[in-house]
Parts: sequence; C-alpha cells; structure tokens
Amino acid sequence: MSGAAGEDAGGVPPPIALRLEDLHKSYGPLEVLKGISLTAREGEVVSVLGASGSGKSTMLRCINLLEVPDSGTITVAGETVRLARNRRGETRPVEPAQVVRLRSRVGMVFQSFNLWSHKTVLENVIEAPIHVQKRPRADCTAEAEALLAKVGIAEKRNHYPAHLSGGQQQRAAIARALAMRPALLLFDEPTSALDPELVGEVLRVMRALADEGRTMLVVTHEMGFAREVSSRVVFLHQGVVEAEGTPDEFFGTRGSERFRRFVAG
Amino acid sequence: MIDLAFMSEAWGKLLAGVPLTLQLALLATALGGALAVALAAMRVSGIAALDAAARFYVFAFRGSPLLVQIFLIYYGLGQFRAVRLSFLWPFLREPYWCAVLALTLNTAAYASEIIRGGLLSVPRGEIEAARACGMSRSLAFRRIILPLALRQALPAYGNELILMVKATSLASIITLMEITGIAAKLVSDTYRVIEVFVAAGALYLAINFALTRIVMAVEYWLTPHLRPVPVIALDTGDAG
Repeated sequence: MSGAAGEDAGGVPPPIALRLEDLHKSYGPLEVLKGISLTAREGEVVSVLGASGSGKSTMLRCINLLEVPDSGTITVAGETVRLARNRRGETRPVEPAQVVRLRSRVGMVFQSFNLWSHKTVLENVIEAPIHVQKRPRADCTAEAEALLAKVGIAEKRNHYPAHLSGGQQQRAAIARALAMRPALLLFDEPTSALDPELVGEVLRVMRALADEGRTMLVVTHEMGFAREVSSRVVFLHQGVVEAEGTPDEFFGTRGSERFRRFVAG
Repeated sequence: MIDLAFMSEAWGKLLAGVPLTLQLALLATALGGALAVALAAMRVSGIAALDAAARFYVFAFRGSPLLVQIFLIYYGLGQFRAVRLSFLWPFLREPYWCAVLALTLNTAAYASEIIRGGLLSVPRGEIEAARACGMSRSLAFRRIILPLALRQALPAYGNELILMVKATSLASIITLMEITGIAAKLVSDTYRVIEVFVAAGALYLAINFALTRIVMAVEYWLTPHLRPVPVIALDTGDAG
C-alpha cells in the first residue's frame, strides 16, 4: 500500500486490521467503557481524541488485553480473542497462548516510554523478538540496528534509557514496538510526558510510520497530528464514541458540537 | 599483657577454620537465596494460600533465634523415627549439614523480605511493557522483574551476607571446627582468651572487608544504568 489512508476510491477496501465490538469495562461502580465499537483497516491511522476520563486509554489497553473488557469482542488481523467469565464473574482470556500471539502482533507505545531501565537501547529492542518470538539473535540485532537508524537514534544503541532525553526514549520505545513486526501499532498519548521541544521529533517518527502505510491507533491530544496525519478521527466522550469521521469532517464546520467545545478547550 | 608471638601462632591455627566458615556462609547464602526468591515470589503472587505460607515461614524463622533453630535441627530431628529412616538421615546426622540447613532456612527468611522489597520497587510500567510484548508471567519475571528487583536489593543483601558470615560462628556449638570452634578449643587449651578471640575477630573482619568490596564491585558492574555518566560499550566504537 502506498498511502496512509486506506480508502482508495473504487478499489477493494483493504482488509480489516482491528475490529472492536461493543466493549464494556467497569471498575467497580465506575463504568469507563459503555459499548465502544471501532474498526481500523490496514494502513489506516486512527486518532482517538477525548477528554481525560473519556475512556481512550482504557479502550487502547483493552486491545492488547492489558485490561480485559467485561464484555464485547476484539478482533485483530482476523483472529477474535476468546474471552469467558470465570467463577468470580471476571472476564478472562480463555487461551494464554492466544494472548501471547495477540500481543506479539500488536505493538504498544506508552505515555511514559516504559523502557527496561537495566537494558541498553539495543537490548530493549531485541528482547522480545529473541525471547518471545524466538527469532535468531543475529537477525534481531541487524533488524534492531536498522530500526534505531530509522527513528534516528542509532548512535545511542548502547546507552541506557536513563541517559537519554524523553524524546529519544520514546523513539527507542517505538523501535522496540516495531521490532515485533506488529500488524497494528497502539500509541497511548505518546507525547504527553515530553517537554514541548521534544514533541516534534516523536511526531515526525510517527508521521513517517503513517506514510509507510502502518496501521496505527493513536490516543493523542496533538490536534495537529490528528488533523494532518490521521485517516480517521474518533472522538470519545464518557465511554462512548461520540463522533467519528475524516479529519476534514471533524475539524471543519460539520463536527460535533461537543467536539468543537472540546477543541476550543 | 598480650603475647604477640602466641597470637600469631593462634592466628595460624585459626586460618585453618576459614575454609569451613566460608563454605557454610556461601552454601547457606546460595541455597537460602534460591529459597528466598521462591518465598518472595509467593509473597507477591497474589495467591492467598501461597502468601500466607510464606508469611508464616518468615514469621517463624525470623522471629526465633538461630541458635534455637540449630539445636532443634541437630538435636531435635534425630528423635523422630521417620527422620532417622528417611533418605535425609545421612545428611541430617552430620553437624555440617545441620548447620547448613539451619543457616539456609534462617537467611531465606531475611533475604525473602529483602527481595520482596526489590520486587515491589520494580516500576509498574516496565512490567506492563513486558506483558505488552507478549511475555508470559514467568518470562517477564525472569527477564525483567527479577533482574531489576535484585539490583535494587543488592545493597541490603550485602548486609545479610555479612550477618551470615558472623552467624556461622554459632555452628561451633554443634562441634564444627570453623574459626570460632577452633578459637574456643584454643582458649580451653591455653586460657589465653584475649589473644585468641582478638585474632578470631580480626579474621572475621578481614573476611567481611573482602566481602563488602566484592558486593560493591558486583553492584557497580550490575548498575551501569544508575551511574550518572553515560557508559558506552567499547566494541562498537561509537563513543559520543
């Protein structure tokens, strides 16, 4: 695929990379997700916007089962996660091997980077490919070097995370996610923990990934990124999808009233 | 008056006990360390029965004197017919293995609390990143959580090592001729308490001095990420 957007006019639409259907999630009496459905086709970049507490991060974390939804279905690259209730009434994945498979297909980039502090940048990137995917070390290292060059921190490969700036750490974390050769990339507010002057370098990397045709789901407060890079924007409000559309629809005059108020602050 | 010539003679005799002292300390620390990791993992497992069992273990072995534990194991276990008939009897009738067992069980209780503290200090985000990469619980524990926890626990563990070296002196009570055992015998032969025990004390000091240095070196080697100045591996030649 050449472009970022996956809806070439007239052609067959690309296959569905991610489908969420009717996700519900509560923490005690607090209902965070109240029936979220969302579809992302291969090559799409979907920006997820919304105020804090709207359920954006929870939704994202449900996709790779860092949180297990109470009900609803999650389908990644055609495979639906099998969930069932245990005796205490909690929903849990049925098959651990499926969870591992799912997670190695879904790369995740966290707000606070979460690099492993006792490993160098290179070791962070090759860790999961070697130990989870059981690929040969030499291949993983070569691929990791290429990924680090791509995100612009090849010369930092033998540094420890604590010795990097936030922007460099986040780019290393992106390389770590890419090293799994994921079918889908999740970004959980990737620039929110960064000093303002470091936001640009991370967004540039993300933009380059979008241009490559990567499928990405990005929870963000960066309106510029949502507007210019995404193929679609989803606006969450109090646990439901309040509005959904192309950036033009969204940031134009036809957007939802609530969204305009949200953007206006 | 201190007889220096006798003291150096005593020193020479005490040196013969150093290997046994070191053996008891190192063997108990190694076995106890492994047991401690298991106990600490039980404490943080979130499984109530495992947690309670580990808690009780720590309560019992941390709360009672090591000497009492040594007596119970050395003099007590042999009273049970089942123990005398079991395959363990060839070990348990030896004072050496009784001392190793008591020291192991004792240090495991203390060390498990040290390691538990280390486990609790591992940042949640780094554990979550491991899960997000598809690591199973055991893989994440082995590759990410335990290495981070041990690095955190190392300074406190160094303390426990020193305590263990000193605790081996109690093994002399059950006839083992380690440093203190030899010292006690020398004293009963010669009645020169000061010379013998000053020499014995100096030996323990020397051992613990070396041990402290080794722990410091290991700590330095394991924590390049905590040092202020970036350290760059030499093999790639990309020093920046």
